[in-house]
Amino acid sequence: MSWWTRPLVRVVAALLLPIAVPAVLTAVLWVLPGHPAEIVCPPGICDGTEALAERWNLHKGPWHFFSNWLASALRFEFGNSWRAQPGVPVAELLRQSIPETTKLLFLAMVPLLTGGVAAAVGWLPKRLDPVWQAVGLVPAVILALFCAAQVQIEYGAMSHDGWPATLRLLLGALVLGVADSALSGAIIGTRGVFEAELRQRYIQIALLRGETPLSNALPNVLPALIGQFRARALHIMSGTVVVEVVLGISGLGELLFDGTLKQDFGVVLAAAWAFSLLSAALLLLQGLLEVAVALWVRWAPAGVVSPGEEGA
Amino acid sequence: MRSSWKRTVALAIGLVFLAVLLLMSFFAPENLSTPTALIGGEKGPLEVPPFGTDERGIPLLEYAMQGARIVTLPSLVSGAVVMVLATIAGLVRCAGLTWVDSGIQFASELVGSLPRLVVVLVVALVLPVEWKNLLPIGIAWALLAAPGAMDEAAATAGRLGGERFVEALRAHGFSGVRIYLYHVVWLNLRPVIVRQGAEVTMQVVFLEIALSYLALRRNVPSFTHSASEFSWATLLYQGYTALLGSPLIHSLFTGLGLVALTAAMAQALRMAARAR
Repeated sequence: MSWWTRPLVRVVAALLLPIAVPAVLTAVLWVLPGHPAEIVCPPGICDGTEALAERWNLHKGPWHFFSNWLASALRFEFGNSWRAQPGVPVAELLRQSIPETTKLLFLAMVPLLTGGVAAAVGWLPKRLDPVWQAVGLVPAVILALFCAAQVQIEYGAMSHDGWPATLRLLLGALVLGVADSALSGAIIGTRGVFEAELRQRYIQIALLRGETPLSNALPNVLPALIGQFRARALHIMSGTVVVEVVLGISGLGELLFDGTLKQDFGVVLAAAWAFSLLSAALLLLQGLLEVAVALWVRWAPAGVVSPGEEGA
Repeated sequence: MRSSWKRTVALAIGLVFLAVLLLMSFFAPENLSTPTALIGGEKGPLEVPPFGTDERGIPLLEYAMQGARIVTLPSLVSGAVVMVLATIAGLVRCAGLTWVDSGIQFASELVGSLPRLVVVLVVALVLPVEWKNLLPIGIAWALLAAPGAMDEAAATAGRLGGERFVEALRAHGFSGVRIYLYHVVWLNLRPVIVRQGAEVTMQVVFLEIALSYLALRRNVPSFTHSASEFSWATLLYQGYTALLGSPLIHSLFTGLGLVALTAAMAQALRMAARAR
């Protein structure tokens, strides 16, 4: 397999993902028993299946629904929310929630990156691993519960502006970065990758040449580390739903959960699509970083002389 | 010897915890007891053993048992789904079916690209009302977790030698069934498969708690169980009110204890299946 095959697959997957999500949902709507409009809004909640089907473009088959929805999505038009926040344009809800979730994601990556770097350079002793593992066993919902209680006691239940809002965001990021084995995975995973690489013969030779093991191992372990961090970012993205609802952060996860609870199909489909865009961005980033690392590794280092030149 | 003893103890602990869950689930009451008070009826574990009562005088044991009934079967089925899929991936690698192997890897890449909870919520949305319970949601979670487990099982089988390992054992005169089921699955893939199964079992329990807790915060019924049932999230929600000052701290400890029981069961089973 050529070095560019995997990055290429990731780039293609990143481009397909935002199309695949509505496509799969459309397929599911038509595969499940019953009229799609009745699945979108069960008869107990809505009346007039035919009218609803026409309103949501469900009346002319799956392709009509899918193509219309995707065309509207590309124009960032998702109609109005009809149950989660009745009458409010879904695009507006997305515009408000995506920045909050993005901030939460970036902040949650800080403990993971710090832990990973500290493990790689040997600042974190191995004997502390059981501590990280024990902390990682705690589910995000429990840690978030304690954090939410703390914020509510200090600032009240309705404190969603200013410092309390920032505190909610910081605590949410801390919960995401620590709970559900996120931090322990980053520390132990990174150290494991480095330890396996440092046992390689070329590292011993590099040491004999007076070079540092880290500078030699890093280009070779980076693809694995990038993959690990994307998996963790996805895991964190998944956890944002829990943390945002419990801590009252108005992000994409909270919007998705409210949409699901209130059976607001338009909101859920749009929020899931927004999540797929974030996932696609991560995949794309991974693919590009892998290409960059491969180019770096293949770049002839200074001072290396080819056998022909040596003879001359 | 010491390692074997540790594994036996871990297995015993894991099985005892699993038995506790199964028993609670089996003997769970259909409905909770009639409340004895509207408010202020809470009693501690010493007055009403083993866990005390909530503010309406309902024993917390009943919540614990109903919660166990909600999670036990779906979480075990989800764990089994992951174990079966991981076993298949490991066997495929050993059987040298390269096109199936490539297909699994491609599917893993696509399925693994989506945040699991997002997919679970979408599944919960599109499920017909009569299907809305933890089992389909747990299976969806298991299918999303499966790519990682399959990848690890296939990698383990690959490190073993894959096709060449099977050929070598065939040369020793072993039958195909013995090679695949005993040498490959039982002796080599077991630690990975059991660990992944135990982790997904635990994750599905935590998923139920999280989804029900979030629904409780919104004062709406959860889509993981019927409105007449109460999940372990109820205990944690009561515990949350205790953190804000209500006298229900024993609910919090009961809820945390049940979470710890689940985590300990998964860890014990994982340790018990460790490779020699």
